[in-house]
Amino acid sequence: MNKLYDLRIVIGIFFLIIGFLLMGYAFLSDGSLEENNKINLYCGLLFSSFGLLMLLLKTKRKKNN
Amino acid sequence: MKLELIDYLIIAIYFVFVIGIGFLLKRQVKSANDFLMSNRNIPLWITSLAFISANLGAQEVLGMAANGAKYGLYTVHFYWLGAALAMIFLGVFMMPFYYGSKARSVPEYLKLRFDEKTRTFNAFGFAAMTVFSSGVSLYALAMLMEVILGWNFDLSIWVAALVVFVYIFMGGLTSAVYNEVLQFFLIVLGIAPLVFLGLYKVGGWEGIVANVQDYKLHVWKGLDDPSHNPMGVDAFSMVFGLGFVLAFGYWCTDFLVVQRAMISKNLSDAQKTPIIAAIPKILMPMIVILPGIIMLALQNKFSGFELPVTANGDANYNMVLPILLQKLYPNGILGVGITALIASFMSGMAGNVTAFNTVWTFDIYQSHIKKNGSEKHYYYVGKIATVAGILISIMTAYVARGFNNIMDLLQLVFSFVNAPLFATFFLGMFWKRTTGHGAFWGLICGTATATMTHGLTVAEGKGGWIANTHEYFSGTSQAFNIAWISFIVCVIVTIAISLVTKPKPEEELVGLVYSLTPKQTDSNKIWYKNPLWMGVGVLLVTIIFNIIFF
Repeated sequence: MNKLYDLRIVIGIFFLIIGFLLMGYAFLSDGSLEENNKINLYCGLLFSSFGLLMLLLKTKRKKNN
Repeated sequence: MKLELIDYLIIAIYFVFVIGIGFLLKRQVKSANDFLMSNRNIPLWITSLAFISANLGAQEVLGMAANGAKYGLYTVHFYWLGAALAMIFLGVFMMPFYYGSKARSVPEYLKLRFDEKTRTFNAFGFAAMTVFSSGVSLYALAMLMEVILGWNFDLSIWVAALVVFVYIFMGGLTSAVYNEVLQFFLIVLGIAPLVFLGLYKVGGWEGIVANVQDYKLHVWKGLDDPSHNPMGVDAFSMVFGLGFVLAFGYWCTDFLVVQRAMISKNLSDAQKTPIIAAIPKILMPMIVILPGIIMLALQNKFSGFELPVTANGDANYNMVLPILLQKLYPNGILGVGITALIASFMSGMAGNVTAFNTVWTFDIYQSHIKKNGSEKHYYYVGKIATVAGILISIMTAYVARGFNNIMDLLQLVFSFVNAPLFATFFLGMFWKRTTGHGAFWGLICGTATATMTHGLTVAEGKGGWIANTHEYFSGTSQAFNIAWISFIVCVIVTIAISLVTKPKPEEELVGLVYSLTPKQTDSNKIWYKNPLWMGVGVLLVTIIFNIIFF
């Protein structure tokens, strides 16, 4: 529970979830809307990468300490 | 605009997270100090992002995109001229007095430096302004959701207010600040793809240059005469009115933003907070102003990007961002974009409510109603003030719906109170002879001057309710001129009355006035970690931006 007090964890998890949701939606959507799927896919990748970065920053700081 | 299940899911997840932050922090909040001041224990990166996010409310996100379309690149003056320098000044010169004096709020600094009446005048004005602004945010949110999504107005108001209430009531200021950081990233990452898609569609910056009138793509070129730029402002009122009086008045004295720096772990972090915040601030036009300029290019190049008109028949520039979301975002990322808008409204509202409950508890209740209560007592007073702040905000939102003119009038009155404020702080911090009587009457006369100037001048059909002695080219120009005129009057009156009244003994002013406070030595620090050099770096980048877009 104490881990969750670190804001980087909260932000990391939030953007990971949103990122995966967008990627999942892009894969599952109708293929005829290819352009829209690409936008959701790339945005999903951007968000999940950012979420991962926040989690990694937290882990790195913990190791340094 | 039609949302699908995925969009609603994203909005719901956001609500779960913001409320979850409040619940997670609940166990850590046990006293008034925790609830209202975060126990002065917040890391630098969080205070810096919260500092900028507290200002990233709906008026900023929707309003600056609207100004981008209306005034073009001249809008960036609100950032490069009207923010960066003032934020650096706050960090380098003013923060040592706010933080070092151990004041819990900006009005409390006025009490320590001057007297009780100056503090009370400022505290009441600020408390009224914050709950009013919070209500306006709530009203704007509900209106926007009603217009673009067809959501029920009442439901939008009560759901948004309830969410903000829950996370502030549970986790206090820390919860508001943590949420502001989440909201900052959501707003930036939620709108950045829109800018990218818009630029891609118009053919990059070259496409903007080819499709937008040249006079809207400069920052300084047309400021030689008000008729040469879309803002209708001259260089003097822009630099002195916006860049000095209004910018310094807001960034250096408004407790809503200063509070974010005051909860830092130590003085060094408190000084760095506004300076580090200035870095994203000078880049923020790419997220909030560029969409407005992209809209102009899209309108010229494609059909279907027309703005709706207001009741007066003018283009409704506030719809720039919602229309871009509708046209460029597919479902999925559209949910993120709408959530970013909701986040900006909630961020603005929460910032105001947390500043209100602190000022009410420490500067009004403790100062005038119950002086020697226990820490626990003020903790509960802070919580009750939060409930009251939210309820007054809801009431204000309904008043705004029924009487829009009253809201415009109130906004105008508050701008009159704010205009001369920086003069009082500046003289108080840098001239030890300034007295409480001088400060108080300077503020009163400055506010009266702002009101009179509005009554004696006209712009775009507004003002001139006493007589029409001068007509300004635009409302913006009138506001900038009112600001510097009231500032000058406040300075003159404060100095004149201070010279004939008795100042505080010098020993009582140590830590409150520049010349009587021992200077800090930073000999052990690496030079680039020194707030002064950090500020110089940010300023240089800002100057380069101004030259590039001259």
